[in-house]
Amino acid sequence: MGGSSGSFALFEEIIKLVTKPLPCALIFVLHRGKSSLSELPVLFNSKTKVRMEEPQHLDLLDTNCIYFAVPDYHLLIGPDQRFYLDAAEKDFFSRPSIDATFISAAQSGIPIKAAMLFSGASEDGAKGIRQIAEAGFRTYVQNPDFAEAQKMPLAAIDAYDKHQILNEENLFEEIRSILYSHST
Amino acid sequence: MIVLEYQELELLIVRVREISGFDFSGYARPSLLRRAARYLTKHAMSLSELIVHLEQGGKVVYDFIQELTVNYSEMFRDPDFFISLRSEVISYLESFPAIRIWVAGCASGEEAFSMAILLKETGLYNRSLIYATDLSERVLSSAREGIFSLGHMRTFSENYLLAEGKYSLSDYYHVAYGQAVMVPDLRKNLVFSLHDLTGDGVFNEFQMVSCRNVMIYFNLEQRQKVFRLLYESLAMFGFLCLGKRETLRYSGYEEHFRVIDTRLNIYQKIK
Ligand SMILES: C[S@@+](CC[C@H](N)C(=O)[O-])C[C@H]1O[C@@H](n2cnc3c(N)ncnc32)[C@H](O)[C@@H]1O
Repeated sequence: MGGSSGSFALFEEIIKLVTKPLPCALIFVLHRGKSSLSELPVLFNSKTKVRMEEPQHLDLLDTNCIYFAVPDYHLLIGPDQRFYLDAAEKDFFSRPSIDATFISAAQSGIPIKAAMLFSGASEDGAKGIRQIAEAGFRTYVQNPDFAEAQKMPLAAIDAYDKHQILNEENLFEEIRSILYSHST
Repeated sequence: MIVLEYQELELLIVRVREISGFDFSGYARPSLLRRAARYLTKHAMSLSELIVHLEQGGKVVYDFIQELTVNYSEMFRDPDFFISLRSEVISYLESFPAIRIWVAGCASGEEAFSMAILLKETGLYNRSLIYATDLSERVLSSAREGIFSLGHMRTFSENYLLAEGKYSLSDYYHVAYGQAVMVPDLRKNLVFSLHDLTGDGVFNEFQMVSCRNVMIYFNLEQRQKVFRLLYESLAMFGFLCLGKRETLRYSGYEEHFRVIDTRLNIYQKIK
């Protein structure tokens, strides 16, 4: 799941949906300032009982774990099912970049249950979520009409018009059913 | 955007080795893949065009290798690290009559100059020798010149103050032709030389080795080999400094070090 400004509160609500063990790894990439020190697993500690982590370089990906990209590094996923931190150039002035994580996931050969993109004021993520869709996985974009910042979901839909749209009414039910579905 | 596949990347690694002798096989694939794909996109090239282009050899391959081995650096990068060095490590180094420090993967010298300034401000510089190495001859020659842009110096000055520097960074350089030139006094005990962490061996024994933001580019196996090299280059009770998100995890040497600073990844060799 990727998002930028306006996505933090959504992510918090999504984490609250995780009330039982997850059949997949759930990875959040949120744009944050370089020096943002607050660790999201600590911040969200009371919201779920499922394990939360900021993956470190070379950690193995686990199911039933929620991961948050650390600030100032791209979070890549390798074919060996390990996380890789990368300090190379920013994308759209962002590190972590959502594109970087999405593209690496699409290329890793690891099955992706779904990719989702939410509110944000940059075009990061559009390329990556398109690549995931074209690799045959399910992709969802928040309806820009009710996103706090429209640019990110709009850019994703502009780049590829076959993403499914997440509407306000059933946003959380839908996400919950995707998380716990058994396909892919 | 150009998409590059892992198999194509392997092909590219082999060709680069054949053309230039430079071997990327110990580097982390996901990062290499991302950077190689960005290179192709930026230069609007396909993989086969790139290979033809690289076959010209010389500067062309060199530029490509340069792009793939991130050289970004800052003086007093992660200012907290220098604060921790001063409080946790310096007092220990003081007990040595002669101090040898190795900055491995020094880029254009930013970190080595920061180290020299720190040693100067703690009164140890005159009996210290800093060896700063990198595999890129280009960054080394710019390090030897000790010239930085004034724009970068502004960021470095902010870092210096955050690192609790005692004076002002501008005390350590003068401005000539719109650029910052590090003062000769700082370069006195600073040696820049070529060293490839993936191919060259131990060349001295050090009280401290700083290898920050370099390990992250290696794959698991290569990383273990480099850890071995750093371990063997350290004197007993010497210090190993890694980057902000680089730990001893998966190094094979966890048992041989004691943690001095968990957050900033400073370790001490204990066996
Ligand atoms: C990101 S810079 C880090 C510079 C500095 N240590 C810092 O933390 O700011 C990484 C440096 O490692 C160098 N490097 C990469 N592979 C290397 C190798 N095999 N041997 C020596 N240096 C290497 C690169 O040329 C680059 O200058």
